[in-house]
Amino acid sequence: MEDELLGLKNEASTALAAVENKSGLEDFRVKYLGRKGLFSAVMRKLGQVSKEDRPRIGKLANQIKQDLEGNFSDKLAALDSQTSTTPKAGIDLTLPGRHIPFGKLHPVSQIMDEVCGIFEGLGFAVAEGPDVETDFYNFEALNIPPHHPARDMHDTFYVDDKVLLRTHTSPMQARIMETERPPLRVIAPGKVYRCDSDITHTPMFHQVEGFLVDRKISFADLKGVLSVFVAKMFDDKTAIRFRPSFFPFTEPSAEIDIGCVICHGKGCRVCKYSGWLEILGAGLIDPEVFHRVGYDPEEYSGFAFGLGIERIAMLKYGINDIRLYYENDLRFLTQF
Amino acid sequence: MKFTLDWLKQYVDVKMTVAELADRLTMAGLEVDAVENLSQELNKVHVAEILEVRSHPDADRLVLCDVAVGDEKKQIVCGAPNAKAGMLSPLALPGAVLPGGVKIKKGKIRGQVSEGMLCSARDLGISEDHQGIMELPQDLTPGEDIVQALNLKDILIDVDLTPNRPDCASVIGIGREVAGFCNSRLKQPIDPAELPLLTGQGVPFSVDVQSVEDCPRYAARLLTGVKVGPSPWWLQKRLLAIGLRPINNIVDITNFVMLETGQPLHAFDFKKLTGGKIVVRKAASGETITTLDGQERELETDMLMICDAEKPVAVAGVMGGANSEVDPETTEILLESACFDPISIRRTSRRLKLNTDASFRFERGVDPQGAPLALERAVRLIVDGGAQVVDDGIDACYDIKEPPVLHLRIQRICNLLGMNFTGEELTAFLSGIEFDVKQLDDNTLSVTPPSFRVDIEREIDLVEEIARLKGYNEIPSTLPIVPMSFPEHDEARDLRKQLANIMTSLGFYEAINYSFVAEKHFDMLNLPENDHLRQTVRLRNPLAEDQNVMRTTLLPGLLENVRHNVNHQVVDIKLFEIGKVFHPHAGNLLPDEKFCLTAVLSGRRAPGSPVIHFKNQETDLLDAKGVAETILRELYLLQIELLPTDSIISYGVAGNIIELRANELVIGYCGQISAKILKNFGIRQEVFYLDLDFDALSSLEQARKKFSPLPRYPAVKWDLAVLVADTVGGGEILKAIKEADEPLFEHAEIFDLFHGDHIESGKKNVAISITYRSKECTLDDETVGKAHQKMTDMVLSRFRGQLREV
Repeated sequence: MEDELLGLKNEASTALAAVENKSGLEDFRVKYLGRKGLFSAVMRKLGQVSKEDRPRIGKLANQIKQDLEGNFSDKLAALDSQTSTTPKAGIDLTLPGRHIPFGKLHPVSQIMDEVCGIFEGLGFAVAEGPDVETDFYNFEALNIPPHHPARDMHDTFYVDDKVLLRTHTSPMQARIMETERPPLRVIAPGKVYRCDSDITHTPMFHQVEGFLVDRKISFADLKGVLSVFVAKMFDDKTAIRFRPSFFPFTEPSAEIDIGCVICHGKGCRVCKYSGWLEILGAGLIDPEVFHRVGYDPEEYSGFAFGLGIERIAMLKYGINDIRLYYENDLRFLTQF
Repeated sequence: MKFTLDWLKQYVDVKMTVAELADRLTMAGLEVDAVENLSQELNKVHVAEILEVRSHPDADRLVLCDVAVGDEKKQIVCGAPNAKAGMLSPLALPGAVLPGGVKIKKGKIRGQVSEGMLCSARDLGISEDHQGIMELPQDLTPGEDIVQALNLKDILIDVDLTPNRPDCASVIGIGREVAGFCNSRLKQPIDPAELPLLTGQGVPFSVDVQSVEDCPRYAARLLTGVKVGPSPWWLQKRLLAIGLRPINNIVDITNFVMLETGQPLHAFDFKKLTGGKIVVRKAASGETITTLDGQERELETDMLMICDAEKPVAVAGVMGGANSEVDPETTEILLESACFDPISIRRTSRRLKLNTDASFRFERGVDPQGAPLALERAVRLIVDGGAQVVDDGIDACYDIKEPPVLHLRIQRICNLLGMNFTGEELTAFLSGIEFDVKQLDDNTLSVTPPSFRVDIEREIDLVEEIARLKGYNEIPSTLPIVPMSFPEHDEARDLRKQLANIMTSLGFYEAINYSFVAEKHFDMLNLPENDHLRQTVRLRNPLAEDQNVMRTTLLPGLLENVRHNVNHQVVDIKLFEIGKVFHPHAGNLLPDEKFCLTAVLSGRRAPGSPVIHFKNQETDLLDAKGVAETILRELYLLQIELLPTDSIISYGVAGNIIELRANELVIGYCGQISAKILKNFGIRQEVFYLDLDFDALSSLEQARKKFSPLPRYPAVKWDLAVLVADTVGGGEILKAIKEADEPLFEHAEIFDLFHGDHIESGKKNVAISITYRSKECTLDDETVGKAHQKMTDMVLSRFRGQLREV
């Protein structure tokens, strides 16, 4: 019995080694390991073995069976891996892959989302207003009465005497403060319009206006918030400076320059050899604006700021002609 | 505001480099836009005396000039009409390179030797004057280097003035700021203490101000024995350096004094003033005036005029009239130095579309105390040129605004700027720029600004001055402490972003077009005359006719984009735009603004992939439909149906239009742009489009996202092939199957659709694979067979079909 078992083991091992493919392996399984196979036939004879020998022979038989099954599994795995790693004939792997069509947002939208995302992270809400705006919200509510020379800073498209295309997103300051009470933290992104067109101006462009109103808001807070913005939008090594300027709806007013991202301060055409690039206008909200919306400037203070998206995109990507934004040339759009 | 460094140094010691000066000015709120070296490169140009002018033997328009340059004599061929013997003119010698890049060489012109070139002012980059060679002052020495002789080397500085600083629209105003940060003293050309008192006693002219609210001050003096002629070189040079053309000594002096002091002046030819009288009044209705630029202007009754006894002789504060102009024969001059109301001047200048250096200053506000000083300065300069001034003059003062007395609270400024100041510090800052400051108590300063600072009216204006003088960069940076709150989201905006994401995921690039379009676009889209898309918001002052109305549809912009791309050989196009359209709203001041999503598809289905992978499959209407279906699926708007429609869309191919509708509400369309419209837009390939009304879309309720348990039992697929009439839509069969109320039905899909040789004409074969599944058990053939038979019978009877062997 014992000899028979060992003989079967040797025979099966030789047979398994000789197997070359899956069908051969299946034949092997049926012949040796199957229900009607040779091994089962030997096992059926176990009852004839003497009582004292039975545990030892039984253990040997189990051992041999487990070994055979283990070798069988290994062989199966080896054959499997062989098939799956064999390349199919006729595929040229040097060919470019199949491109699943993939689109992107316009660079202006990408930068707009980035800018809004930074301020949303600081807890600012987003509000949008009409593109076709009244003279009142665009100018008068912002302390720019008719015949104010500051109107020269806005080349305005008019629909009629009282209606125009907004020249900035600042009207949202007045619209929101008129209906809500402080504390306020709001940004207003959108399209704005000026009748001007050349290599650095398009008659339509995008701005984000932002403002924050509460008790005890200071110019230092304005500097803090906008410094965070610049550090996140560019990087935290970007130089930043604040310099006096004028807007009728803020006082003190400031213009914010960053160190030229093109030449890093050495002087180039983009920064007009000054080493600085203007990117933001800002200031403390003028008490006159508060008066008009019924806030007490002795109780509340706040700051407002505005920035042009196209300009930031130009600086970030090195775009040299603003008109490219609105041709929607796919050779341009696919670059960002 | 342009000035030169040399000019500035007349009034203040500049103890720093030009670069530092530019930086300090910028940081003081006077942004330096440009710094330019003048005449730095000019060499080998000398003063030459023309000895004799002879005609050129072979050219009518040229002359030969014998000139002396120091001890040397040279022959120069010259084409200028004004060359004459005795004249001094700049001569560029061989080797000189002129600012325009012209290299001077010795050569022959029409056979005659020319040893250099006599130059115009433009040749030397001094001005735009190119009417003849430059006539130099007679006191120069022939042979002298021109840059030294004319003292041309200087530095031009251009400051971008903000509207609140009219006081800096003058070199003295800039000098005052510089004196402030240089700690030096301003040197005024005239000590205010020397000003003569003008009493109006016994002067041979009169001033009658009838509109005192528009003219709070009018000062004038009379000069006699005036000789009108060219200005001395020092004066011409100042004007030329900043780009002004010298005219004559009188006009040049008024311009110079305006640039120096900020106070505009005007000189009248006194003999042309009827009645020796100045009347300041509003224009009478129907009056006209021809201004110095030669234009006749119709006046309106609220325009302020300077008149004589009979007629307007100048548009007050804007421009003089031709009828009282100083000309070469003028011998008596009435010099005006006045103060006008800013709003009145601005209104007039806007209405006449006439912006002048004078109106620029008046409409921003001149120093109401500045008129006598500027007048005296101009009088002295004219007298220096040999004229006499009539004793006394008129200084008619009415309602001159006194500078306000402001209270500045120290605590207030500390709170607003976020840093601490003491009363002493604040006093020092403000005193440094000529503000009068007294400390009233621990917390309050009483501040009176100088008269030229017309912009300082409120406490907050002083806060800005302090911030500016301290330096914005000295103010600390802090983050505000505000209560935490959740910024509410704008759902419509979120939905737009979601849509944009879906579109880019589907391979579309986002386009952004101008919100204004050409009215002719509506014709190009073949829109009927009464189409509501033709109801537009029209711009009164468009930049161009093709941008004259606000868009009512996004399609024209995108079609222009298709044309642009195809013209640049980019022919595989998938673009979308999410943007506003504008519709006038009767009875409302403002139009309705609503968002639309429009997409265009053209060219190959898989741009960017090698042709061998996808062959050259072209997009068609079903691609556009697939985009619509994906949008609706991803937005969980399952109630919307996409149905072919017989509706006529003027720009679409009839019969190739799919309507998106939820019950009666039409959400949008997919379609194909018709050949005629493509031709109108200059596009030579098929274009498909998808147009969605965003507002309608967002008004619909989205299905709730809800989990369905994953099936536990296997599905089985049975096929069905039917022969049906060509007119039967495959989608209709699918819809009937889905709606058949078969509990085991899970999914149906058309896997083949063909006409062909083995099929009778007018019919087609539709092969459908139907998936069945039970939630309770593994299906056996018998059960599925029954369900499939029922389904088959339904399809056959409903669509009059014949079964085909699968």
